[in-house]
Amino acid sequence: MNTLALLQLFRLTSPALPIGAYSYSQGLESAIEHGWVHDTISAEVWLAEQLAGPLTRFELPLLGQALTAAAADDAAGLASANSLWLASREAAELYAETVQTGYSLRVLLLELPELSEAQRRTLTELEPLGLPVAWAMASRVLGIDAESALAGYLWAWLENQVMVLMKALPMGQLAGQKLFSALLPRLAAVVAMLPAGPESGFAPGLAWLSMQHETQYSRLFRS
Amino acid sequence: MHRDLPTAATGLLPGWTARLELGYARHGERTIPVHRRHFGPLRVQKHFHPEPTGGVCHQILVHPPGGIAGGDILTFDIDLASGAHALLTSPGAAKWYRAHGRAASQTLQARLAEDAVLEWLPQETILFDGSDTTLTNHFELTGDARLIYSDVVCLGRPAANERFATGQWRQDSRIVRDGRLIWAEPVRLAGADPLLDSRIGLAGHSVVGTLLFAGPKLPAELTAACRELNADGLLAISQLPELWVARFLGDSAEAAHTAFRQLWRLIRPEAVGLDAVAPRIWNT
Repeated sequence: MNTLALLQLFRLTSPALPIGAYSYSQGLESAIEHGWVHDTISAEVWLAEQLAGPLTRFELPLLGQALTAAAADDAAGLASANSLWLASREAAELYAETVQTGYSLRVLLLELPELSEAQRRTLTELEPLGLPVAWAMASRVLGIDAESALAGYLWAWLENQVMVLMKALPMGQLAGQKLFSALLPRLAAVVAMLPAGPESGFAPGLAWLSMQHETQYSRLFRS
Repeated sequence: MHRDLPTAATGLLPGWTARLELGYARHGERTIPVHRRHFGPLRVQKHFHPEPTGGVCHQILVHPPGGIAGGDILTFDIDLASGAHALLTSPGAAKWYRAHGRAASQTLQARLAEDAVLEWLPQETILFDGSDTTLTNHFELTGDARLIYSDVVCLGRPAANERFATGQWRQDSRIVRDGRLIWAEPVRLAGADPLLDSRIGLAGHSVVGTLLFAGPKLPAELTAACRELNADGLLAISQLPELWVARFLGDSAEAAHTAFRQLWRLIRPEAVGLDAVAPRIWNT
């Protein structure tokens, strides 16, 4: 990977990326409320199960397909990945999160000098736009290769989840760093052994948690 | 009804292929069956109109063997013409037996024309330990067609102390409205899959259920009332842009049906404009 592409990857995965990801917990705040996640050990179980379950079996392979489509300027392939992604969001907050972050990433991309005219057309046709397909387009626009885009996506997920833990649990920075140490090799393994297609998004417990969060009394996060 | 004799090569019974085609249309105020064709052991009982307001056609789909063995292939093909309203259910659980090396499948394809209403409310699907099952549920809705769909799946038979330790469950549920995918739930779960015990999966439960309504958004107060319901299991509800969905996780199919039938009773007047009239077979 050339240095410019590496720098673009840092930029895409920076918490300063203006897509508002910090306001979403993806069910984690609800898991904390229900006592499923209460310390570093249970947090690691939560993260590992997300990773081995819906992320590895559905979200990442779907992002992989979107990246392949983006690299080939295949608008139909992008649209099909986007519609499968949106139709598989089974709770209102999970749907709203992906559509709002996807929207914000598109708004940003449409202002960037790196964007080509063809890419602008493709981006505006995807409506609503979920985050994975927006991420695939961003990677294409910024010249980031597929493997790095997948790794960056996982990193952004993990960093965000650990930030949620530090805000919502009594968890310190060192404990957060130890979670990175435990999880990063697994993230790398997922990118290296990515399933060919999104074959199972099955996570009914996560859907239940997310639906519970809609009526949770005290909330810091929007999902 | 008899299966063919075991084949010499495998010593196994050959699988059964069964297909049931049903078509409904609206004649005046009533919906009546206008097409019925079956091949193999799938049947439909005589239709009836038990609702005081008349028009809805209730019908019970029957699979006389009661269980599905490895190699069996079942297909339901259902057509609702413009304005037709059908409520379809089944008399008992669909039991999917140990596969003995051969997969079994069921495909449901339903097409709903403009303003049609389908209530697909079958009994539960029981996946025995060692079953190898592919379930496909595809609904194509046109215009303002509405769908109420219930799906209760039991993994293994906890009452017989049987876990879903080996086997495969694949399911592909999709709802398309005017060519747009509005619901997709691809499932692939192997026996002893970590998601059976993981809290984001089945959390150690053996029954997972989905009740959904594809149609106009339901009023927030109605969803709030539905959330007040007590279920013997985990129950949660969410309103998506094009679907209202309830999820159940628990340990008994009966508890899932109890919860879903109460929800159905609550939402039906708003969802399809009619009070709930439970099919008599639910009370037996």
